[in-house]
Amino acid sequence: MRKRKKREAYSFILPSLATLVAIVIFPTIFLWYVSLTNYDLSMGWEQKSFVGPRNYFFLFFEDKDFWHSLRITLFFTAVTVSLEFVLGLGVALLFHRHIWGKRVWMSCLILPMVITPTIISLIWKLMLNTEYGVLNFILSQLGLGKINWLGPKEAFWSLILVDVWEWTPFIALILYAGLQALPQEPYEAAVVDGANPRQIFFYLTLPLLKPMIIIALLLRSIDALKMFDVVYGLTQGGPGNATELMSLHIYRLGFRHTNWIGRASANAVILLFLSTLLTTVLLRTLRRERLGGA
Amino acid sequence: MSSLKTWKKVLLSILIALVVAVCIFPFVWMLMTSLKTRVQAINPAIWIFTPTLENYRSVFQKRDLLLYIKNSAIVVVTTTAISIFLGTLAAYGFARFHFSRKEDVAFWILSLRMLPPMAVVIPFFLLGRFLGLLDTHILLAIVYLSFNIPFTIWMMRGFIEEIPQEIEEAALIDGCSRLRVLTKIVFPLTLPGIAATAIFCVIQSWNEFALAFFLTSFNARTVPTTVTFFLSVMGIIWGEMAAVGVVASIPVLAFAFVVQKYLVRGLTFGAIKS
Repeated sequence: MRKRKKREAYSFILPSLATLVAIVIFPTIFLWYVSLTNYDLSMGWEQKSFVGPRNYFFLFFEDKDFWHSLRITLFFTAVTVSLEFVLGLGVALLFHRHIWGKRVWMSCLILPMVITPTIISLIWKLMLNTEYGVLNFILSQLGLGKINWLGPKEAFWSLILVDVWEWTPFIALILYAGLQALPQEPYEAAVVDGANPRQIFFYLTLPLLKPMIIIALLLRSIDALKMFDVVYGLTQGGPGNATELMSLHIYRLGFRHTNWIGRASANAVILLFLSTLLTTVLLRTLRRERLGGA
Repeated sequence: MSSLKTWKKVLLSILIALVVAVCIFPFVWMLMTSLKTRVQAINPAIWIFTPTLENYRSVFQKRDLLLYIKNSAIVVVTTTAISIFLGTLAAYGFARFHFSRKEDVAFWILSLRMLPPMAVVIPFFLLGRFLGLLDTHILLAIVYLSFNIPFTIWMMRGFIEEIPQEIEEAALIDGCSRLRVLTKIVFPLTLPGIAATAIFCVIQSWNEFALAFFLTSFNARTVPTTVTFFLSVMGIIWGEMAAVGVVASIPVLAFAFVVQKYLVRGLTFGAIKS
């Protein structure tokens, strides 16, 4: 009986599982293999040879741009996720009250995160242009000078600005849902005990929201780590390599100038490793929440 | 005291207005730019003008936007249909059966949803080349299953677990087959969930860029890749760029408002049910 049930369960799951193994696991193993060869796009597949870990050595010891991309990717992730958290929590608290027409205002918050990311890069390119952009127009109307938004020093920060605009509502919506679902009793007890709003926020609201916060931040970190579309549309990693995040570096190694697929694959394996680390932490949190909550 | 309260209320209203304005302004600005003439478009001082549809006419006539929309639609519909079919079956398996290491398998599947596109695109590109499948709709639709199936399984699992199991058990005892239970009970009861999940799959697939960019070149090119027309700063026709943006955004926005109720759930793969 038990065995039959198990077989029945697998008959539902197997089609999906087989598809995923075929389209994800097999290509991933293939990626590891390619990362150990010197294959590049200009040669025939048979001409490549096995070079062991040499591509990794190249990235670690010769390719300064690799370390640059790793550094700015981690920095980008840390800065955007922190800013989005602080602002997102602020927005969530702001909306956590009776507001006239709240549904309509909340709908507006959805806009930045559902619009196609490459289209977002177009919108911002339009607005960030030094000569004809509306941001510099507003700045000059306010008597402030123009900013070369996509210049060598500024582009990285403009990218952070765009990412914060795009994803702050994401954190806000998740934390807002969390706030709405908080139990009432601890708050009543805290008021009876004479707690002030500050104490209530730091000793009650934040700890109660903690699981939501962790899940939201991890989801954002994983996304920031693998960011490609918006950077590509906005700066393509430039000027120079000022905004060359890791995905952009893989693109440059493998496709843009050099066609070094082997080296690009090695870098892709490293990116995969980094995102797997974060994903493991996320899944552990989700799993604990699922067991605790349900 | 009461005047302090009024002030606080006014201040909060202003803050909310500010947040909403910041969220929608870029989109509104794009909409405005798309309705301007070529000369007006590069003048940010113009806020009031007579709208023209010239930019829309030229993106459809000169830039083949309709072809890209068609390609996107084919890929999106194919991948969504397959994901919903396979994913819902698997979700039922996870929701209604117990077997050893079930959660390990389920969470492993979820982890696939997080794969960085730039990490998987190289093998997809090479395999597509060997198989002669580069620049075809079917390759892109299959590749998109890698994030759509895990998503569907997790969303649908939540929706199925929400319907009481007793109805199905009663039907099974009455001699219904599993298949009949699925088609007569589970599917009808989770129809809103299926619709919401499908819409999320549509949005994710419609918006995907990295994979589409490397795996298609002309025949199967999708809407997000049109960004490459507008990469150089020189010679960009701003109005056309904005018009492409508006046309690409409208379906996504329409769909997003339909599933607004499930948004938090969708964004967290069913982990947080608000």
